[in-house]
Amino acid sequence: MVVLPGDAVPQDALPTPTGKKKQLTLGPGLRHIPPATVASTIAGGLVTDPKKVAAYIESNSGRYLPTTGDLVVATVQTSTAEAFNCTLTPHTPYATLPHLAFEGATKKTRPQLAPNSLVYARVATATKDFAPELTCVDPSTGKSEGLGPLKSGMVFKISLGMARRLLAGSKGGVVLLEALGEKMGFEIAVGRNGVVVVDGGNVKSTLAIGKAIQEADGQALGEKAQKKLADRVLKSI
Amino acid sequence: MAPEAILSHLHRADGSATYTHNGYCIIGAVNGPIEVLRRDEMPEEATVEVNLRPAAGVGSPKERHLETLLHNTLRSIILTPSIPRTLVQITLQVRSLPDEDSSTGVNPSLTLLPHLLHTALLALLSASIPLSTTLTAVLIALPATNTPTASTQLLSPTAIELLRAKPIRSAHVFAFSGEGKMLLNESDGTFSYEEWDEAAEAAEEVCCREDGGVGLAEGIEVDGREGENLDDWLRSVVRTKVEQEQRWKSAR
Repeated sequence: MVVLPGDAVPQDALPTPTGKKKQLTLGPGLRHIPPATVASTIAGGLVTDPKKVAAYIESNSGRYLPTTGDLVVATVQTSTAEAFNCTLTPHTPYATLPHLAFEGATKKTRPQLAPNSLVYARVATATKDFAPELTCVDPSTGKSEGLGPLKSGMVFKISLGMARRLLAGSKGGVVLLEALGEKMGFEIAVGRNGVVVVDGGNVKSTLAIGKAIQEADGQALGEKAQKKLADRVLKSI
Repeated sequence: MAPEAILSHLHRADGSATYTHNGYCIIGAVNGPIEVLRRDEMPEEATVEVNLRPAAGVGSPKERHLETLLHNTLRSIILTPSIPRTLVQITLQVRSLPDEDSSTGVNPSLTLLPHLLHTALLALLSASIPLSTTLTAVLIALPATNTPTASTQLLSPTAIELLRAKPIRSAHVFAFSGEGKMLLNESDGTFSYEEWDEAAEAAEEVCCREDGGVGLAEGIEVDGREGENLDDWLRSVVRTKVEQEQRWKSAR
């Protein structure tokens, strides 16, 4: 169902809270106007998840807005006494990444990150009123779980929708990476802010993989077309 | 003829739209929510900045006046409290005007205004800036006749139609929100209150949806029918945009 800003979503289009979950969760693009109206704020398609009793508007345009819990690729710009100032998107206020939010960091042993280095982090807090805060460590366990500085690799920009698809696994319909991974070894970090860091070992492979992802994004390739693209890339390496 | 729109074609802007209608072609780009200068920062709301560049020459007080009108109208539909202390920057570049625009007898700012509003709205939709509602706008021209009635009104006339109907006694631009509320009312010329009232009614019919609720109707009336419903046109543009974005789901 395609909605425009201001459209009130009819009650029967929304999942009904049953059983354990008593409340309806509204995701991006929807707002609640008390007492009982749910209205859309952006143009897109309405998506409902009956299992999670959630509804949101799907749209692949616009700028990334930091949300709590997102995995992002941040670029370190400067360092203050207590934290690194990082950017998630250009022309927005810095996101802070505390020096101690790394695995095994103490006041005596802080990580040394040069400007323009890349970090795979999680957004710890992001509200509309404050600048976002990042963390490279799971707050409850203290372990990094794959987060931390990205030592090598090249940055490729992709659309926000593609980033969500890559992070969604099989539901995202991206078979390109598995197809490439059968013959090639590479490391990849996907950030929800539309940034992908690829490390293929050498320049040719890295570029080929990154460009392939961008093509699958820009041309909206289906599974068959992605497999053909993967074959083409593997042949050219 | 229905207007044409291309969305999200500029890769360096967060949202963009090129709008073409009756010889007017305008490119709009929106960036936001981005960082705002300290002096323009508002603690609980977003700041909206509108920049208008004319087709030829540099900006003059005419463009500043149009920017003010656009700013006040758009600010009322953007959900500024949801993105406080940020900037929504809207840039509009007039690419071309119809040749007869300067000799119609109607203030060229007024003839351009509805098209600017549509371009800005499409660019905002393309950038997914949170909006409380959409808007549509139309120009109504009342030519000088002995007995001006509703049937002599010109609804959304082309420049040539205005030229042929010269002299024009008054011209009015109305903008309505998606819910039918009047957001903008700019008039120029000599007119009575009744004439204005009739013009406003005609504008509301062109701009707004007849029934309530989410419209599922398809199709724009073309060829001869004056004042096709603008709300339906807007919905069809958004439908095309969403289908374009979701084409990966049905691709082979």
